[in-house]
Amino acid sequence: MNFDFLMPTPGVPLMMSSGLFWGLMLVFLPMLAVLQSRRRAMTVFVSVFSLYCAIKGSGVLAMLMLLTAAMDWTAAHAIATSTDVGRRRVMLGASVACSVGLLAYFKYANFALATWHDIVGGNFAPLDIILPVGISFYTFRSISYVVDVYRGKMKPVNSLLDYAFYLTFFPCMVAGPIVRAVDFMPQLYDYRPATASQVWDGLWQFLLGVVKKCVFADYIAQYVNIVYGSPSGYSGFELLVAVLGFSIQIYMDFAGYSDMAIGMGRIMGFDLGVNFNLPYRSLNVTEFWRRWHISLSLWLRDYVYITLGGNRKGRLRQHLNLLATMLVGGIWHGANWNFIVWGAGHGVALCVHKLLLPRLKAVENTRIVTIASGFATFVVVTLLWVFFATPDTATAWSIISGTVSRFDVAYIPVLISRRPLLCLLMTIAMVSHFIPMTYSDRARHMFVNTSWWLRLVVLLVVVQLVLQVSGSDVHPFLYAGF
Amino acid sequence: MKLKPLISLSAMLLLAFSIMFVVSLRRENIPLWDGAELTVPTIADELFGSGGVTADTAAMATADKPDGNDVETAPIANVRQPMDTTAKTILFIGDSMLDGLQPRMAAYAAHNGHKLYGVRWYSSTTEVWGRSTRLAQFIKQYNPDYVLVCLGSNELFVRDIKSKRQRYLDEILSQIGSLPYIWIGPPNWKDDTGINEMLESTCRKGSFYLSKNDTFQRAKDGAHPTKASAALWCDRVCDWIVNTSYYPIRLDKPIEKYGKSTGTVVLQPNQK
Repeated sequence: MNFDFLMPTPGVPLMMSSGLFWGLMLVFLPMLAVLQSRRRAMTVFVSVFSLYCAIKGSGVLAMLMLLTAAMDWTAAHAIATSTDVGRRRVMLGASVACSVGLLAYFKYANFALATWHDIVGGNFAPLDIILPVGISFYTFRSISYVVDVYRGKMKPVNSLLDYAFYLTFFPCMVAGPIVRAVDFMPQLYDYRPATASQVWDGLWQFLLGVVKKCVFADYIAQYVNIVYGSPSGYSGFELLVAVLGFSIQIYMDFAGYSDMAIGMGRIMGFDLGVNFNLPYRSLNVTEFWRRWHISLSLWLRDYVYITLGGNRKGRLRQHLNLLATMLVGGIWHGANWNFIVWGAGHGVALCVHKLLLPRLKAVENTRIVTIASGFATFVVVTLLWVFFATPDTATAWSIISGTVSRFDVAYIPVLISRRPLLCLLMTIAMVSHFIPMTYSDRARHMFVNTSWWLRLVVLLVVVQLVLQVSGSDVHPFLYAGF
Repeated sequence: MKLKPLISLSAMLLLAFSIMFVVSLRRENIPLWDGAELTVPTIADELFGSGGVTADTAAMATADKPDGNDVETAPIANVRQPMDTTAKTILFIGDSMLDGLQPRMAAYAAHNGHKLYGVRWYSSTTEVWGRSTRLAQFIKQYNPDYVLVCLGSNELFVRDIKSKRQRYLDEILSQIGSLPYIWIGPPNWKDDTGINEMLESTCRKGSFYLSKNDTFQRAKDGAHPTKASAALWCDRVCDWIVNTSYYPIRLDKPIEKYGKSTGTVVLQPNQK
């Protein structure tokens, strides 16, 4: 029997939808059940397992996470115990600079070098840099902790082990949600093992995530990847379906991962909050950001937008702050001009919405207005996703222009007849946004309260669905790369 | 006795795994109706592998392996070489077509004592690889003595392809350098705009396998071959490498259907 699959594979994170992860859960969960009545033992055990997950995906670079933990834990204590304002500021600045510096090196060094060589006209050989798994997410969590201690929102965490537990917590490691210490630590201090209904509720949430990620996102991705790979070879309608497909794919991919993380957290007895709330139901871009990647939106609001002055320094400054915040959000996603365009686009859309708000409020809220608002918001968001999904602005423009210039209705019946499952999945994904929450709550309630063997059947059906629809390998999470 | 909820969940997972494991021992999909199939999981293959190195090929692999430097630096003549029966370190790069090809190629590699490293860059094209130096980096990292490439499926419809992609193709081949390589052409599902012609005219004689005339059973996306069809495709490629290519290596047909690669790197579509 070969155990190589347990060895580190730097650059390839251990994903919660993989068979290996669930194989490990067969050992992890019973041990957690035994240890969870003793808080300290549980903390050590889960931290060690989280560290293994980090090493599996990043090799020795996983130690950076521990370094960040030790650094920020020390800084937070120094900030909390000092009464000297200047010293507190210096400690905060040093801590944030170290965290951001590490992140910047791993994410942006090659981009900066390439841009520099473009300017001076030299030859550029990219540095061989592997992005440590989850570095963006744990850096944000760590910064929020130090800033919250500085702002007096929370006391520093006494035990370094507890802080390491928080920072390395494996369900949130690869792609968030960006849970804050101020919300998480009280749950750890007052740890209570999950009740039976919490465990089954967590499993339901996890399975929902698996279906979103492995059935919807991965299947739709196959079509999107083919079309985006050579957009010049496709008709306008095929491009349009790919453009819409990516909007659905990225939502299903990321929300699916968040569901898995939240579900896993719940199974272990932790509430990780909500990260997506049917974002394509939004009636304006401001609402979209209240529903999309909520933990990141709130992080950007609290630690970038408000730090820059928020709306407290006049209207012009507010708009500049909004633009700057969304640019930070764009750059955070990756070192690529397209992410900058994407962030700037959202920043402009938010400013335009803020400017038009007094007039929009005067419009009577009829059903047509609601539908038109929702449609316009979806169009803006979807157009900006084209930049997010493509490697350069030229490709993005070729997709957008090709969608219009080569549009031909003759392709509609052809595509529907040749790709019925794609059309069906995309339709279900969009319609699911508008199904009343009571239906999904009822389904969840039934799953939690049904018999054990029926849950087993649901589990097996989900696994079989995944096997039927996805390819031979687990696809990487789009957000694992950020 | 009331079980702890986590123990109860663990028991359920164990039962689910056991059921899937028993089903996976079958190793072949279960036929339903109208040609539809129930996909079986691959747990048995994952746990126990699917073949392994036979004693004689393993012995030969260690005894006859030449100095890697000789292979890298020695220029290869543009004529068919005699069969190289030594164990190889094979680097297999390409796009999502490796989803289907690589597991079968891994079975060949394991059966014949080769090491197989795969780099699967989803949605990649000759342009994506040609613009990046990743191939050179992977060659440096894995030190292969044989390279397999399967690229072109995402460029079937690029107009005026020679002017747009020739330089990237040349760049890829220059990164491969003097290593023996085989380029597996795309499994066309529509007529292409010249990618196959460009590949055939650029690759060294006997190093390009034209897949477009093969027949494939397509997956539900209409483009990728099904896993079974991709395995047959891989069989045809290996047979061609042994009997027709300019640099034949040992690729006896394995008993097991799929194998596990020595290493696999998966890159996302827009990864730099």
